[in-house]
Amino acid sequence: MRRGLTWVAALALVAALAAGLVVAASPRRPATAQDAPAVTVQRAHAASATPTLKRRVVLLTIGSDAGAPKFGRGGAMESGRADALQLVVIDTVKRRGSILSFPRDSYVPIPGYGTNKINAAMAFGGPRLLVATFEQLTGLTIDYYALTSFDGLTDIVNKVGKVQVNVDMNLRDAFAGAFLDKGKRNLTGGQALAYARARKTLPGGDFDRSRHQGQLLQGGLATFQRQVAEDPAKVMTWLGVIRDEVRTDLPFPELVRLALLATDVPASGVKNIAVPSVAGNAGGASVVRLLPGAYSLFGRLRAGKLS
Amino acid sequence: MIVAARNNPRFRTAGLAGVLAGVLLAGGCTSGGGPEPDGQAPGSPSTSAAPAKGLQVKLVTMAKVPPGGPSATRAARQAAPGLERFLDRYLTAAFVRAAGGEAGWDGLIGLFDKPVRASARKQLDALSLGADAPKVSAVRPSRASARAVVLYGERRPAAATVRLAFDGTADTAQGSGQVHLRSVLQLLATGEGWRIAAFDSRTGPPK
Repeated sequence: MRRGLTWVAALALVAALAAGLVVAASPRRPATAQDAPAVTVQRAHAASATPTLKRRVVLLTIGSDAGAPKFGRGGAMESGRADALQLVVIDTVKRRGSILSFPRDSYVPIPGYGTNKINAAMAFGGPRLLVATFEQLTGLTIDYYALTSFDGLTDIVNKVGKVQVNVDMNLRDAFAGAFLDKGKRNLTGGQALAYARARKTLPGGDFDRSRHQGQLLQGGLATFQRQVAEDPAKVMTWLGVIRDEVRTDLPFPELVRLALLATDVPASGVKNIAVPSVAGNAGGASVVRLLPGAYSLFGRLRAGKLS
Repeated sequence: MIVAARNNPRFRTAGLAGVLAGVLLAGGCTSGGGPEPDGQAPGSPSTSAAPAKGLQVKLVTMAKVPPGGPSATRAARQAAPGLERFLDRYLTAAFVRAAGGEAGWDGLIGLFDKPVRASARKQLDALSLGADAPKVSAVRPSRASARAVVLYGERRPAAATVRLAFDGTADTAQGSGQVHLRSVLQLLATGEGWRIAAFDSRTGPPK
């Protein structure tokens, strides 16, 4: 028993010496607040924000039938005919919007060029004249335009990795190369272009086509939002694609702010509205005439409404 | 006997008391000298008692360049120092200099793009020390890291997405505690340099 106690005492002494050596070898530490007990300094907080822009932004999106070498269409995009025409109105405060789809054959006054199909305005005087035509027609101030071509649309869709679109009818249009079944579809660039161009076999012809073009924009917005929710750096991917494939008078900082704002505008809050119109005839050419309902719609938009 | 000693609480207590006494004795021997004026013993490695370690953001950068622009690698290398400086400024304003609450928040808010400043000012708690700043005497950074995807314009960075992580220790009169930030910052290159154009941010214990 006595030997046991001696052994334990010896062990304790060795341990004490060892511990003392360890402490002695440690750097000297002055007493500081960090020696104080650990406390909870910070509680959990979360927040997010996108830019707050002026109340309403009006953007004219234009699809040109020129400047697409991959599709055998030469010339400059800006001097082609505007075959896809959507007026995008975004209420940045309510985070809602409207896409007004105009038939390309809408027969309207073009400043300095009499009355003609609206798609001819760009061929007459570039995007600026087309914007002036729209401003005169609707009474709305158009802030910016964004112009692309067949090549641009297909490249945009392929580079961002398909766009999900709610295809609203079964399509078998050999002229446009559109073979799609009704329902939610992830469209490649070629399919997206075909959906935007198909007209001849559709019951509503040009009216259906312009509605489909609006659906593509809606699908693009939803796809953008879904991708950015998964990976916020996708904003840079989309901006890079737009930088390369779209001509616009939007200054780049404004484009970035709008893109960031767009992450916060629910796709379900953006209506696709076909401007009320009817097929007609002018000088032997088939045209589309806007109905009184179109002008009422423009009036409501001028008053700050979205539809 | 050894087994008996282990199992006897009296012996175990005596052994622990001996170790404790030795530790206290040794500690008393080494704590006699005061710290050097800079708070660190000469020649000793950096310790937690040393002055707050300089904030250094570890940044990994990728670049997206236009056709015909610089190579992505070169562009990323070019963009990194400016981004690093900006993130350093952000964390300094949000945490290191915010301690004490005397610096105010104008310096931090100035790092945001104008269309998002009002939102940032309302949500400081999720972006910085926030309302806790007055009770904090110092913040010692322990980790600051970021991953950035930079979008190039024709020749220079135009926008970027940054995932930022910051951890540090905050000292208060009641003790010390951890502070954390996890943010996604969407940056815009302006005439004044990088500015935060949108954010998704949280502070407090990481999930």
